Amino acid sequence: MTTTLERPAAPPPASPNTTSSRSARTEGWVRRAPLLPALVFTIVVTQIPFLLTLWYSLQSWNLVRPGSQHFVWFQNYVAVFADSQFRTVALNTIVMTLGSVLIAVVLGLLLALLLDRHFIGRGVVRTLLVTPFLITPVAAALLWKTTLLDPTYGLINFVLGGQTFDWVSQFPLASVMAALVWQWTPFMMLLLLAGLQSMPGDQVEAARVDGAGAWSIFVELTLPHLRRFLELGIVLGAIYLVNTFDAVYMITQGGPGTASANLPFYIYQRAFLGFDIGQSAAMGVVVVILTIIVATFALRLVFRSFGAAGGES
Amino acid sequence: MAEVVFDQASRIYTPGAKPAVDKLDLTVTDGELVVLVGPSGSGKSTALRMLAGLEPIDAGSVRIDGRDVVNVPSKDRDIAMVFQNYALYPAKTVRDNMAFPLKMRGMDKAEQAKRVADAAELLGLTEYLDRKPKALSGGQRQRVAMGRAIVREPRVFLMDEPLSNLDAKMRVQTRSQIAQLQNRLAVSTVYVTHDQVEAMTMGDRVAVLRDGQLQQYATPSELYDRPVNAFVAGFIGSPAMNLLDLPRSGDGVLLGGVEIPLSREIRDAVGSAQTVTVGVRPEDVAVDSEGSGAGIKAVVDVVEELGSESYLYAHLIDSDGRDDEATTLVVRGPGRTTVRYGETIAVRVDAGAVHAFDPSSGLRVA
Repeated sequence: MTTTLERPAAPPPASPNTTSSRSARTEGWVRRAPLLPALVFTIVVTQIPFLLTLWYSLQSWNLVRPGSQHFVWFQNYVAVFADSQFRTVALNTIVMTLGSVLIAVVLGLLLALLLDRHFIGRGVVRTLLVTPFLITPVAAALLWKTTLLDPTYGLINFVLGGQTFDWVSQFPLASVMAALVWQWTPFMMLLLLAGLQSMPGDQVEAARVDGAGAWSIFVELTLPHLRRFLELGIVLGAIYLVNTFDAVYMITQGGPGTASANLPFYIYQRAFLGFDIGQSAAMGVVVVILTIIVATFALRLVFRSFGAAGGES
Repeated sequence: MAEVVFDQASRIYTPGAKPAVDKLDLTVTDGELVVLVGPSGSGKSTALRMLAGLEPIDAGSVRIDGRDVVNVPSKDRDIAMVFQNYALYPAKTVRDNMAFPLKMRGMDKAEQAKRVADAAELLGLTEYLDRKPKALSGGQRQRVAMGRAIVREPRVFLMDEPLSNLDAKMRVQTRSQIAQLQNRLAVSTVYVTHDQVEAMTMGDRVAVLRDGQLQQYATPSELYDRPVNAFVAGFIGSPAMNLLDLPRSGDGVLLGGVEIPLSREIRDAVGSAQTVTVGVRPEDVAVDSEGSGAGIKAVVDVVEELGSESYLYAHLIDSDGRDDEATTLVVRGPGRTTVRYGETIAVRVDAGAVHAFDPSSGLRVA
């Protein structure tokens, strides 16, 4: 799922003098021409597929029944909104994305606070903590499914005393989220550690002299300082995790039923297992529109808080 | 209101190495403004931070009103500090910055608001109370930092080079404001600076430090008139005192072939030593306008005209008439001087104003 946010370029200032405006226009084209291939390429690979998807979404088209393709206007969209599974899956997506991001942020913050102190072996600990982020998502998901959560051979059951509890089928959504949190905590940790280390030491000293204890310093100084780093982490994490496919595919295949399916996985199922091109195209369009709306607000938040920070320093 | 005592207080960063602050003995009496001054690396800031509780005290003790604070955390020492870079809390408004120490002590909201309003009034910050620090000028930020220190009415103020980030004009203005404010509040204050002019103008007493050791602790005028050693003599006063190692000759010392008489007191103290370190302030050396030829001959290298006075930087011509580039003198002249670069002048030293130091130990001889 790719969304491109395009901002129209500011129009050249209107000039009362037509000859100079014409030469300015020529000059503008000369300057922009080298960028044209990139623009054309971007349009070809993003906007044409999107238009095709829009076209498909207005058709009843199931690959299992050749020759059945016909134009049905917005019936697919009606069906999408009437589909209770779609709503379940949409809710799963929200829970999975926000839940994983928020848990990862909290854990990342705790680990960052730990790493911001001096202790023996800090470099080794930091490297070990970063490792999950460096593992291919598919491999990480496989690791969680087999090595850790497997009912018979899984390390978690082994540690818990050799029981054979089936984590993946009992808590499918939580199992997927565990793998996601495990992968994304290091990212949050690194981001917040950078934030902590950019905090001026004399402010903390001033607060200590002013009578603040450790908790007050954290709440009154550290958290406000980290605010923009937290916002950035949440927005970036959410943008990545809303598209999660590999972890769902590897660990639960979205099941049982749709208990752990998210939107990308559900659309994949409808398109390539159900062969219902029209329905899945309509779902894709709905998801793209929702994502654009959410992403616009989220990115605006981040740019505003970093813009303000730029003015500060 | 409090008495602060440093009692053999030391700070040792690396065991075995030279201490950053070496057995400091210093007493700040109630309501006094004491300035710690010294070149960078002299331990003055470290000493202040030991008093603030931001550096551990490795040996000896520090007492505030008789209470040993060695193991007392900063927040329980009842002190307030102004930092060099102000250390304002960027996410808080001026009002919240100033109220922070009160809030941390659990003072009720109404009393907090009243104290902040009073302090803001005193410092002329009332109209800026709702701004964030980034929307203030350097001087305003400095005043907010002062405000944050005074709202709590602490027993001791600590100031760590609070004026060093201001421009020259602002610094002079703020310097007198701080001194006035301190006088009015009568709170014992320890003020750190590397600027000897600040030290001389603000301090009731001044402690000169060098390499972690206290050199002299006295009133500004005593520091100026009777420096205990050559270091203090050279550090206090601008331009610095002329310090020259000179050979004995008869009842005095020989400078540029001219004998400068020494007082009986100094002669008795020097005894039979062959050389003496002689210190003369620029204002005690005068250009010999009579031109009798009896004065010390010197060639002018630089002329600094300041309007009200001028300073001539010159090197001597020895008794054989050769240039002696190594022996230089700073001479104070009138505001308008006709002397120019490269000219040879004759100077006279006011024999009564001569300081004498031991050439090896640097200590004052009499």
